Amino acid sequence: MNTCRHLIFVLILLLSGALAAESADIEPKIPPGYTPEKGDDEQGLWMEVDDYEKAVRASALLVDDADLNNYVREAACRVAGEYCGDLRIYVIRNPGFNASMTPNGMMQVWTGLLLRVSSEDELAAVLGHELAHYTRLHTLDRLRRIKVSLAAGSLVDFGLIVLAGVPIPVGQMTAVADAMAFSREQEEEADLLGVRFMADSDYDPHASYRVWNMLVDEEAKASAKRQKPGVFNKTHPDPAKRAETLVRYVSERYGTTRADDIGRERHVEMLDRHYMMLMEDQIDTNRFGRTQAMLEKHEQIGVNGGLVDFFYGEMYRQRGQAGDKEKAKNAYARAIERGDPPPLTYRNLGYLNLKEGDIEQARHNFSQYLLLSPDATDRKMIQFYLQES
Amino acid sequence: MFRSIVAVGTIIALAACATANKVRQIDRLESVGENPRILIMEPDIKYYLLTVSGVPEPHAEWTAAARDNFANALKAYADERGTEVVMITDSNQLGSAEIEYSKLHAAVGLTIQLNYFGEARLPSKEGEFDWSLGPGVAEIGEKYNADYALFSYYRDYQASGGRVAFAVLAAVAGVGMSTGWEKGFASLVDLKTGDIVWFNIVHSNAGELRDEQGARMIVATMFANMPEK
Repeated sequence: MNTCRHLIFVLILLLSGALAAESADIEPKIPPGYTPEKGDDEQGLWMEVDDYEKAVRASALLVDDADLNNYVREAACRVAGEYCGDLRIYVIRNPGFNASMTPNGMMQVWTGLLLRVSSEDELAAVLGHELAHYTRLHTLDRLRRIKVSLAAGSLVDFGLIVLAGVPIPVGQMTAVADAMAFSREQEEEADLLGVRFMADSDYDPHASYRVWNMLVDEEAKASAKRQKPGVFNKTHPDPAKRAETLVRYVSERYGTTRADDIGRERHVEMLDRHYMMLMEDQIDTNRFGRTQAMLEKHEQIGVNGGLVDFFYGEMYRQRGQAGDKEKAKNAYARAIERGDPPPLTYRNLGYLNLKEGDIEQARHNFSQYLLLSPDATDRKMIQFYLQES
Repeated sequence: MFRSIVAVGTIIALAACATANKVRQIDRLESVGENPRILIMEPDIKYYLLTVSGVPEPHAEWTAAARDNFANALKAYADERGTEVVMITDSNQLGSAEIEYSKLHAAVGLTIQLNYFGEARLPSKEGEFDWSLGPGVAEIGEKYNADYALFSYYRDYQASGGRVAFAVLAAVAGVGMSTGWEKGFASLVDLKTGDIVWFNIVHSNAGELRDEQGARMIVATMFANMPEK
């Protein structure tokens, strides 16, 4: 067993992958309407993800709201162009930042993504990126790569066992590191092809790096920072570097950013319609630094101020640090001053009043709440408070 | 040399050992109607190719053949025994409940394997078998007008030529390496309570789902001793 030769083989695999990412123009590998050949490992992969899709279809976390689904589907279809017919889109109720696509055409979009992007163009940037993975057969390539490098790694390890008499999993560790490096290359590739999908469908390619800048910004404002880089950081390039590469690439190819604001306006209108549901999940994460970063951004891009102020109130009320009660009351009051606040503003302000013993204000706010929400599910509870106080 | 013969022998022995573990909580099937009706849940069956390094690769053709053969053999077996069964024929018509309870069954079944029959038995259970999918499963019973549901789970890992060669090479050097395995289990669930009233595990050598004859063998092993009316 020539251990050295296999180690060199693994190293060559690593190097050849690194060089491939430098190539200039990245083309889709599959045509629209693509299905795998029979009897191929790809067909097995599709079977596995078809089963997965069946489970996703049955998921309780699936958002069934037609308006929200249409918004995402329209953006996805526009950026996908002639691949639109291959997509099946599932909006998943999860406040995290994520979108993903499986090789059979299932695209999952988490609601947390909708909260984080500032425009339809930024949404299209993420969806275009996922579509690029899909059209480049990245999952399949990664699996094939892992199979080969793990096989090579196993042979290395086997050689080492024979030589040393004890297991030394160098080969397997090399294979895992290789898989992660390969994944980072694929991300870079998908970034560039994704930008092209955006330009081809009349989205602003400049939105691509704004997504990464937003993530960097949110991470900086997070109160609890990640201690160690997670799997995402090992399999994805550093967001700041991605943004840097994209700024250069997009400016060279596509000139300056668009002058109009249509993408932002459309996105803000959607957020206004679904803000209560979307932000409720974010509030429940108890990640206050991130929530605040989001609220600041929503304020800035023009989301209905009453809605944003209501959630400032929610954030402070749930955080409960020194002075937060006052801040929460002020935020609720601001929402009310603007006119047309969410009815829950009155109820939650009423609870704060009640806790402070301000019975009169509590009664006033509870009554306002019931007036605006005659069918509230907690009507009896509130009436009980009104009688008791 | 002796060591390698032992290693090769171990692999063969591992591949050939056939065991069955079952639990039977009821003696006969009961029904509010005249005949107890058993709903056959969509069997959760998958075939994999075990590649050189041990990474399993899902195999679509083998899986499709296995699913067909298993369903046919199961239907024939039920007919032979005169058991009234309800088959779900179109998997696209499955509702959320059917899909989610199939997933739950896989999770519960694997837990039973490990924590009741396997390495990690739970001392506080004191040998009692009280696994259940929960009363929510009644929803499915009402939908299909059935008294019981039969869930089956089967996984088969077939070693590739490269994997076998590697295992032989490894055995010569004294390292044991798996050349594939198969295992499955089935549960009969009371659709009123969700309780698993009968459970059976099949291991290697029970048959081969990719051919019709083998599927009949597996079905006969898997469902022998299942309560009747």
